[in-house]
Amino acid sequence: MAHVEHHHHGHHITPISVLIRTFIILVGLMVLTIVAAKAPYWFASLEPYRGLWVVTNAIALGIATIKAVFVVSEFMGVKYATNLIKVYAIGGFVWFFLLFIMFVDYASRPWEPVKGWENVPSSAFPRNKDNDAGTPFPQYPGEAKHGKDGH
Amino acid sequence: MSATTVIEQSPPTERPEKNYLNADHTLRSWIWTVDHKRIAVLYLISVTFMFFLGSIAAAVVRFELTSPWGQMLTSETYNKMFTAHGVIMVFFFIIPAIPAVLGNFLLPIMLGARDLAFPRINLLSWYLYVAGAALVLASLALGGIDAGWTFYTPLSSLYSNTQITLALVGIFLAGFSSILTGVNFIATTHKMRAPGLTWFKMPLFVWAHYATAIIMILGTPVVAMTLVLVIFERAFKFGIFSPELGGDPVLFQHLFWFYSHPAVYIMILPGMGVISELISCFSRRRVFGYEFVAFSSIAIAVIGFVVWGHHMFLSSQSVLQGILFSLLTFLVAIPSAIKIFNWTMTMYKGSVWFSTPMIYALGFMGLFVIGGLTGLHLGSLATDVHLTGTYFIVAHFHFVMVGGAIMAFLGGLHFWWPKMFGKMYSEFWGRLSAMVIFLGFNFTFFPQFMVGYLGMPRRYHFYYFAPEWQIYHILSSAGATILGIGFLMPAFYLTASLIKGPKASSNPWGAKGLEWEQTTSPPPTENFHHKPIVMDDPYDYDAIADNDDFRAHWGKEPVKYGGDN
Amino acid sequence: MAAHATTHPTNPDESEVYFQYEDIDQQQETYIVGMWTFIVQEIMFFGPLFLIYTLFRWKFQGGFYTYSQKLDYVLGGVNTMVLLFSSFTMALAVHYAQKKQTKEQLRCLGITLACGFGFLIIKAFEYADKFTHSLFPNNSFIWPPHGYEYLGGNPEHARLFFSLYFATTGLHGLHVVVGMICIASLMILTVRKAPTITDYVPTEIVGLYWHFVDLVWIFLYPLYYLIPK
Ligand SMILES: [Cu+2]
Repeated sequence: MAHVEHHHHGHHITPISVLIRTFIILVGLMVLTIVAAKAPYWFASLEPYRGLWVVTNAIALGIATIKAVFVVSEFMGVKYATNLIKVYAIGGFVWFFLLFIMFVDYASRPWEPVKGWENVPSSAFPRNKDNDAGTPFPQYPGEAKHGKDGH
Repeated sequence: MSATTVIEQSPPTERPEKNYLNADHTLRSWIWTVDHKRIAVLYLISVTFMFFLGSIAAAVVRFELTSPWGQMLTSETYNKMFTAHGVIMVFFFIIPAIPAVLGNFLLPIMLGARDLAFPRINLLSWYLYVAGAALVLASLALGGIDAGWTFYTPLSSLYSNTQITLALVGIFLAGFSSILTGVNFIATTHKMRAPGLTWFKMPLFVWAHYATAIIMILGTPVVAMTLVLVIFERAFKFGIFSPELGGDPVLFQHLFWFYSHPAVYIMILPGMGVISELISCFSRRRVFGYEFVAFSSIAIAVIGFVVWGHHMFLSSQSVLQGILFSLLTFLVAIPSAIKIFNWTMTMYKGSVWFSTPMIYALGFMGLFVIGGLTGLHLGSLATDVHLTGTYFIVAHFHFVMVGGAIMAFLGGLHFWWPKMFGKMYSEFWGRLSAMVIFLGFNFTFFPQFMVGYLGMPRRYHFYYFAPEWQIYHILSSAGATILGIGFLMPAFYLTASLIKGPKASSNPWGAKGLEWEQTTSPPPTENFHHKPIVMDDPYDYDAIADNDDFRAHWGKEPVKYGGDN
Repeated sequence: MAAHATTHPTNPDESEVYFQYEDIDQQQETYIVGMWTFIVQEIMFFGPLFLIYTLFRWKFQGGFYTYSQKLDYVLGGVNTMVLLFSSFTMALAVHYAQKKQTKEQLRCLGITLACGFGFLIIKAFEYADKFTHSLFPNNSFIWPPHGYEYLGGNPEHARLFFSLYFATTGLHGLHVVVGMICIASLMILTVRKAPTITDYVPTEIVGLYWHFVDLVWIFLYPLYYLIPK
């Protein structure tokens, strides 16, 4: 395998010490995230902090993101990789957030069925004016000739 | 035929005995092949088969609509027919057609590589496609599916009693076929380019396929997961998309269109890549504004991801989100228009030859412009309220998909047919088919714009409430007959060319590009006899305007043009 | 093996380079690019699950806290630990593969594989608990579970929560299984000194996949097990 040695400059070997350090940091962050989430329930003196779910979420996701950065950059080696790999690695995560555009929709309209929607009279829909049965379509061929309101 | 007496061009000096087609003759050597060219041929056979099946469903739909009374089929059967047509054509024909056939064949050759980056994954893609197609066909055989190709919940997840789960698994597999193709194309484009082939020397076909591959890996997995959740909802009663179970059906539409709008660009971008090659070759000019055309592919891929809500203006999507998506939809028209303008400018003062591929390309331009502009009608909030869910929208997307993607596919197939199989087809029948398809297409779909504007809803199999629309439907069905004949013609004369067509020279069109100038027709298994080194800019047509091959094939002098106009 | 140099003309000096590549450098780089492209695909594949989760959590924050009371955050925490450790040993395996210390590499891969098993076993216990309480979102789904009426909450939203929980952890679990199959195959091929495993790149690729699986869990754990009130 001499030629592999020859091309040795091509890839980076992460030292074991760095891997161990990363692992310890990850474990520490994991403990921290559990403590941050559960401490208000463990200790009576922290009870006032139980309701702050926005803050707690921010902490939990912040820690998870830091952990993710460590995994991606050290374990997956993006820190030492080519720019192309960096673009793809970062781009993948960025693209995921495009999905969140749909929050514009959910933030700007009523969410659950508006109360009373079931009771809207069929006359509220002009197409069905001459169709009191409330069926969305006219009867089947041959039975009745219907007005063409709407065209 | 004059083409048989063509003098070979200099780089491949003699016709090799061995090429990828005759390298081995066993069936085994075909179904276990890892040669991208053979896989492209496998795809060509399979997508053609699926196209044939989808056309049958379309024919039934068109026949039913000739009468306002819906006499031939029951509503359920009709639902199954248009669903079969949509599912087969979208997922198993248009999406794989250009990338998996022409892209597979040409991408490595245009990059000067011996194969795609991952040949075995390429074969796996084809098997996934075949497995997916088999499952969908099984679902049709076992009673069909009736939810439409969009599979909107809760119809698809709770109410429909048809074989939807099976079909969804099939579409999921086809999706992963598409994703793996995307992975292959991206790795190949980044890492397998020949020496000297910088990004701005790549053919626009490659740019377009790179942009397509980006959409494939960023969009397809989203719909794959969404379909998995629908399967779970059907199988177990998971409650994510059904309001009865606590979920939200509009969420399904959001996620579905997050993929399925970009999927429109999976269908059309490779076609645009093909058209760039055709227009440039048959106008004998460098593509006008090469960089703009290249970057417009990337821009389409990126902006195409943030416009999906224009399919949902009449769902319960909020008005604010509607306005946002309407605005972004207008933005995505810009890069598409850039391409059309630049192709037009390429032809301007070029010497245009109306060969078969060029007629297809011109047909593409005309139909795509109509399809694109009517897209703007549908992208603006107010007009969409009137037009959505009508035949206007059916006509619109058929102009883009059939008039755009299929015309480009056929144009590309005719252009590279000599390269793929080493045979020339009949130019007379080729030109005739292009014109018959163009004519039949317009007859089929233009009346649908009109009847849609008048209010004919899509997915209805009767319209007895407005029998005066029958004339439009009869026109459309008659046009569909012409269109069907047009589509059948290439099937015959292209097949005939394989048997008794004259041998093609390595460069019958006098075109520029590695696939024409550096290898034989058909290429050898390893694509090139010598590893190509790229020195020239792409589409450097000045240099080869005087072309023996061309004169031999066309029986006339290539037109010289001077200067840079 | 059909793509291998044996069936195609290539440079005989570099027999482990597949015929479509020019040299070993190009081959290795292409593999890594291909794998990263695939991981981007995986990110988008899990994307809808995280999006749907965010949406419903945002709308039903209080309810989600209630439903998550039925998830065991200690077991989840142990599983996080197991996966983090397996990620660490996987990174070590790549390190040893690069240094061509095959024995150590195999040992690390073995530990990673064992961690994967451990993860699945703990997960199986969690799932079994949900099934016994009729918390799997099928026709027999019940909320609140028998004996837990004090928890309150909305049955439809509870079904939604557990749908998301089972969909997300189930598909993640499937990825764990696939990762384990990959690791096992890699070990077998390495032991057999198969011609496909001539350098560290296969280990690196399997490693990337395994780290991605770990990455998904890093976000899953706080989102499902540590929901605040
Ligand atoms: Cu769209």
